[in-house]
This record gives sequence, C-alpha cells and structure tokens, in this order.
Amino acid sequence: MRRGVAGRAAFAASLLALTLAACSDPPFDESKQIGPDPLLPEPRQYLLPPISVSPGEGWKAGQSPAVAAGLRIQPLATGLQHPRMVYVLPNGDILAVQAKSPPPEPVKRPKDPIVAMVKNKATSFPGGPKAASRITLIRDADADGRPELRVTLIDNLNSPFGVVWADNALYVANTDAVVRYPFVPGQTRMTAPGQVLTELPAGPINHHWTKSLTVSPDGQRLYATVGSNSNITENGIEAEKGRASVWEIDRASGRAREFATGLRNPNSPNFYPGTNTLWVVVNERDELGPHLVPDYLTSVRERGFYGWPYSYYGRHLDPRVRPQRPDLVARAIKPDYALGSHVAALGLTFYTGTALPPHYRGGAFIGEHGSWDRYSPSGYKVAFVPFRNGRPSGMAEDVVTGFLDRERRKSFGRPVGVAVDRTGALLIADDVGNTVWRVTAAR
Amino acid sequence: MPIDRDRPADKDRTHPRSTARLFGHPIHPMLVPFPITCFIGALVTDIVYARSANLFWQYFSIWLITAGLVMGALAAVAGLIDYLGDRRIRAKRPATWHMLLNITAMILSLLNAFVHSRDGWTAVVPQGIILSGVVVAILGVSGWLGGSLVYRHRVGVAE
Repeated sequence: MRRGVAGRAAFAASLLALTLAACSDPPFDESKQIGPDPLLPEPRQYLLPPISVSPGEGWKAGQSPAVAAGLRIQPLATGLQHPRMVYVLPNGDILAVQAKSPPPEPVKRPKDPIVAMVKNKATSFPGGPKAASRITLIRDADADGRPELRVTLIDNLNSPFGVVWADNALYVANTDAVVRYPFVPGQTRMTAPGQVLTELPAGPINHHWTKSLTVSPDGQRLYATVGSNSNITENGIEAEKGRASVWEIDRASGRAREFATGLRNPNSPNFYPGTNTLWVVVNERDELGPHLVPDYLTSVRERGFYGWPYSYYGRHLDPRVRPQRPDLVARAIKPDYALGSHVAALGLTFYTGTALPPHYRGGAFIGEHGSWDRYSPSGYKVAFVPFRNGRPSGMAEDVVTGFLDRERRKSFGRPVGVAVDRTGALLIADDVGNTVWRVTAAR
Repeated sequence: MPIDRDRPADKDRTHPRSTARLFGHPIHPMLVPFPITCFIGALVTDIVYARSANLFWQYFSIWLITAGLVMGALAAVAGLIDYLGDRRIRAKRPATWHMLLNITAMILSLLNAFVHSRDGWTAVVPQGIILSGVVVAILGVSGWLGGSLVYRHRVGVAE
C-alpha cells in the first residue's frame, strides 16, 4: 500500500510538472507577423501562460546598444530616473519625461499580486536609480552630444508620459489629466503652476496608465491616448469607460471626445509629416499564445473602431469577452502594419531629418519595450518601418538592438519613447538603463 | 512510516484509532467541511457566472477554490496522518478509496485554480465549470466513503 501512495504522489507530481514544463515557444517565423497581413495562428489558452521576464541590470560604463550599419550611438544623458519619453522643443532643448508607476491596482484575484511581482522584476533593478515623476530639460546647444545644461523643469508630477509644446504652452499628460504650463522655449525653469486642461481616466484601477500626447498640425487640438483598464475586460466593462481610445481635446476649451476607440493600449500619437493623418502604435492583448496578438502601427480614422476588446485584426473574435458586440465587430478596422507579437511598441516618431542615411527619410522609428508574455523574448529594440507615399511599405528593420542579454536573460535597458532632435539625430528614452541615447550617422 | 499499533496498551481497543487528534477529537473531520463547502460554492458561483457573465461571480469562484485548496491541504495532512497512523484504518476498503478520490479532487481543483486565473469568460466556461462539477461529484462519493469509515467502521470513535 505504501508503494501505492508513493506511486500516486509521483504521478501527481509529474502531472504538475507537465503543466509547468515545455518552457519554449513553438517554432514560428516571426517575420510573418511583420507587415500589413500578419499570419494569425489559432488562439490558445493555458493553465499557466508562457511568461519570461529579463530582469533589468543597467549598462556598464562604456557599454551601449548596438546599431545598424552606418549609424553610431552615444549616451546623451545617463543616471536619469526611469525616463520614458523624449520630446524636442522648437529651440532644440530636449525634455526627458521620467515616471514612476501609479499605486498598484486593488487585488481582485489571487493571480493579481503574482503577475504584478513578475512584471516589476522586469522594470526595475536593485541598485539602480529610483523612478521619479519629473521632466528634466537637457540642453545641447552646440549639438556635440555632450549637454551643457541639465535641469529639472517640473518635479512631483503624477506619473507623466506624454508632453507636447504648442503656442507658448507646455502640455503634460499626467496619468490623470492633461496639464497646461505657460512656457516659452528657452526657459529653463517653470514660472507658473500648471493648470488642468482636461481630466483623463485614471484610478482606482489604472491598468495601462501611460497617457501620451500630440498636437494637430493646425495647433488647435491635442490628441491624448488612453490605454485599456485591463488585459481583456477582466476588470469589468464599466471600468473601460473612455479607455482603449485616442481622445481629441480642444486646446482652447479643454473639451474632449473619443476620436477613435478599440485601440487596446495606444501610445505615441504622431501626425505623418505634411498630412492630417494621425498614427499611433498599439499594444495588443495577452494570454492567447506567444504569437498572438501582434502589436501594430496604424493610422487612426475619426470615429474608427479597432476591435478591442471584442475582436483583433478586424473580425477575429476574442473568446474571452462576454457579452460580445457583433455590431461593433462588424465595423472593426484592420490595423495598417503589424510589428510582431508582444513586442510592446510604445515609441513612435517619423523621420524628417537629413542627418541619418537617406534610407530612413519619411519612415517610422518605433521603440519596442519588449515582451513578457512568451518564452522567447521579442521587441527590446528600436525598429524602423519604411514608408512610401505616406503609407508603410516594405519590411521592418532593426535599428538599435543589444538591450537584452539573451543567454543570461537580463536586460541592460529597455527602449520606450523616441524622438528626432534638431540636428536630425534619433533620441531614445531607455527606462531600465536610465539613459537617453542619441543615434547619429557614423562618420 | 506506519506505527506499530500491536503494543499491549492498544490490544484491547476495538475501534480504529485516529492519530491526529485535538483533546481526543479527530482533526480530519473538523477540517473537511471547509474544502467541501468551498468547492460546492465554487460550482454554484460558476453556474451563476455562466448565466450572468457578471465578473463578480468569477472572482468569487477563484477565491473559493483557493480557500478550498488551502483548507483541503490541511485536511489532507490530518487524514494522511490517521491513514498512516493505524493499520486497521488502512485495512478498511473505503479508506484507500476515500483518500484516492480526495487526492484526485485536490489535483483537479489545483488545475481548476489555474483555469480560473485566466482573464475573462474562458476562466469559467467551459473548462472551469466542468472541473468544478467533476470535483463536486467526486467529493460526493468520497464524502460518502468517509461517512462509512466513521458511522459503519467506527474509525476514530471513542470506546
């Protein structure tokens, strides 16, 4: 009988091991999920979804990411406190938006604290600088890549992410509101307190908290992104009011409306230069498998609906959403360009400069923060999507890589926001490496 | 390791003896109501969720399953001590079946906890609610066998 008990215990243990084992993703041609028509495998659901994080450890002195041929990378500013976005003012001054995450969500399920712990491991590292919610102004007037001035412009913000300047005012997208500061480029300190222009959906549940910002070409309207309040409505549909959308805000009155919806976690809105077409990068849903759902870059149509939560890539229904909304799914727009599954695209900027090789002109640089919801890491790089006639055209390329040590499963840094400085160099906010990188042409 | 119960002091005992006791009362029967209630409750809240799609009931289910697993593990420890503690218990046919069925119910509930940790509808329908139902069915049989052990075979009953 005792042998029987031991045997059964072993059987139970092997059952458990089976569910935990097989820690690698099935083979897949990742390039099939780049471009306008991504290959979409059947959704899969797991007992334990594939999860792999690469804990951050920061850059060693003299160490830097790798760049594509013809380029050169150097740190513009180091020792920042979780920089997430870079923005260039008309006079060339650079703003580095640093942010700490808002307070954790209330625990609703035993799963929640466990998932939060895993994700935290990937975004911070012991001994690194503590995150702060502030905007630092960096001035490199002679454009030699060695700033002459670095000063805290605004401190003690509320988890800011987006920032844009228009008409002698600086607009900061905190996690709960767009705040307006009177500001003339050249200023190195704020002289007046900020005033709330428009409140944005935030706590107590504030799942995707990054609110990013841009201004219309005519300067009249602001566009703010508001990410969903869950992976796939597991916090209830009522928590999603005003979320998973791009907001249009009247710059004068602060009045706002949802410009487009169904965009799960949109970030870095940008108008394609010379047009009135708004583009955005979007993080798609998790826990349907390592190769679902690809994140994407898309143009955003007024009143367009892009699927979340009911469907993805047009009318591919998500089995986890009840009740479904066939009326919305019927008009769900298929996004323009897939970037790969779980790459976590957060940064987007169009290249209009001339300093980098001509090949990059008119295309999009995309900051991919990197995956957690799969075994083999994806993202962790800055990609480039070529454009022709204002539309994506051709295969995406790697521009800046080497953020990840794949063998040791550690990350030196993780790219987030991207911008182009006055000289035409590409700037990258690296929130784990606490650095702003500057990419120029190799000489 | 089983304890040799053929000591002279035990010779005259007629009822199989519980080893895990508190002031003379067997601990296992004090604990089993918790997992039984929790797992039956989870089936009920699963059914309500499947009919309403109100997430409140889904959260209710996963907490009930988690509590059932924790209290069930404690009940299992007490039960296993009794099982190993007296060979006369092991000799009863219902005892081994009672244990095997309960171990099965616990393993299925652990899998069920993972299923219930998915996001949205498929945390419950269909696999979650099926597992909850199977577990309750198993507990019905194993509970009956546990009853037999006490009321028929007088396991742990005082002299």
